[in-house]
Amino acid sequence: MSKHRVSRRQFLTYTLTGVGGFMAAGMLMPMVRFAVDPVLTVEAGGDFIATPLKISDITSEPQRVDFTFEQKDAWYTSDVSNTAWVYKDEQDNIVALSPVCKHLGCTVGWGTGDNPEEFFCPCHFGRYTKDGTNVKGTPPLAPLDVYPFQEKDGLLYLGKAEPKKKEA
Amino acid sequence: MKWVSKDIETYLTAKEYVDTAVIPLYSVSFGNEMRESASGAEFITLLTSYLERQFTGRLLLLPPFTYLKSDYPENIVQQLKKWEENIEKNEFKHIFYITSESDWKIYEKELKGSLIWLPSLPLEHLNDQQKISMIESQVKQLLSLFTQKWNENE
Ligand code: FES
Repeated sequence: MSKHRVSRRQFLTYTLTGVGGFMAAGMLMPMVRFAVDPVLTVEAGGDFIATPLKISDITSEPQRVDFTFEQKDAWYTSDVSNTAWVYKDEQDNIVALSPVCKHLGCTVGWGTGDNPEEFFCPCHFGRYTKDGTNVKGTPPLAPLDVYPFQEKDGLLYLGKAEPKKKEA
Repeated sequence: MKWVSKDIETYLTAKEYVDTAVIPLYSVSFGNEMRESASGAEFITLLTSYLERQFTGRLLLLPPFTYLKSDYPENIVQQLKKWEENIEKNEFKHIFYITSESDWKIYEKELKGSLIWLPSLPLEHLNDQQKISMIESQVKQLLSLFTQKWNENE
C-alpha cells in the first residue's frame, strides 16, 4: 500500500509544476493578446477627433491646435492631449503636422528658432521647413508626421499622425 | 524621457543627446498637512510630465525623490546629495530639482544642480482642461529657464 503513496518530494514536484504551468499560461495569454490586438484595433484607429479649430479660421500661418481625447489603457483611462500645427499651403490645402520632433521626440515650435519661417526643435536645434521637411545637417532624419483630417460641421477633425508619404 | 523601460532603451542608444536629469522632490506629511502634501505632489507630477513632453529628447525625468517632511533636514539633504553623486557619474551635465516646498531654498547652495521652486497651485476644483492650461502657463517660464541653462554651457 505504501508503494503508491506520493512521497513528499513527488508531491512538491507535482504542485510546483501545476503552479508553474498556471503562471506560464498567465504570461502567455497577454502575449497572445498583444499579437492579435493590432489586427483588432485597426478599425478603431480610423477614429477622427474633433479639434476646437474652425476650418474657416485656418490661415497660411501655422497655428497650434490642442485636442483632447479619452484613452483607455487596460484599466486606466486618461485624457490625452495632443497638439498639431495647422495651416493652408499655397494650393489652399490644409496641412496638419505633428509637433513631435523626429530626432528624439521633443516638441517643435513654429518660428521659435533663428528662422521665423521654420519649425524649430529646442533640444538639439533640429529644423524643419514649413511643409515639415527636415533640414539637412540638423539632427532629425525624417520629416514631421502628418495628421489625416476631416471636416465636420465646419470643424477640423484629426486622425492619428502618420509618417509623411514620399512625394511622387 | 521617462523612467520606463521603453524610454530607457532609447536613452541608452542616444545617451550623448540626453544631458539633463530632472528630479521632482516630494515631501510627504500626514495629519493636517496631508492635503497640501498631496496637492503639492500632484502639481509637481503634472508639471514635470508636461515638461518631459516638451523636452523628451533631451531630458530624463527620474522617479521623484520622496521624503518625510518630519525627518531631519540634514538627513534629507544628505540623501539627495547621494542621488546627485550617482546622477553626475552617469554623465548628466545638467541636473534640475523641481519642488513646491519652499524649505528647499535654504539648502539650495549645498546642491550642485539647479533648484526650481514653484508655489503649488490649487488644482482640486479644476477640470482636466483647466489644469492643462494652468500648468502650461507655468511651464512656459520653465522652458526658457532650461534653454537658457543649455545655452550657457554650449
Ligand atoms: S529631439 Fe529634436 S533635435 Fe533632437
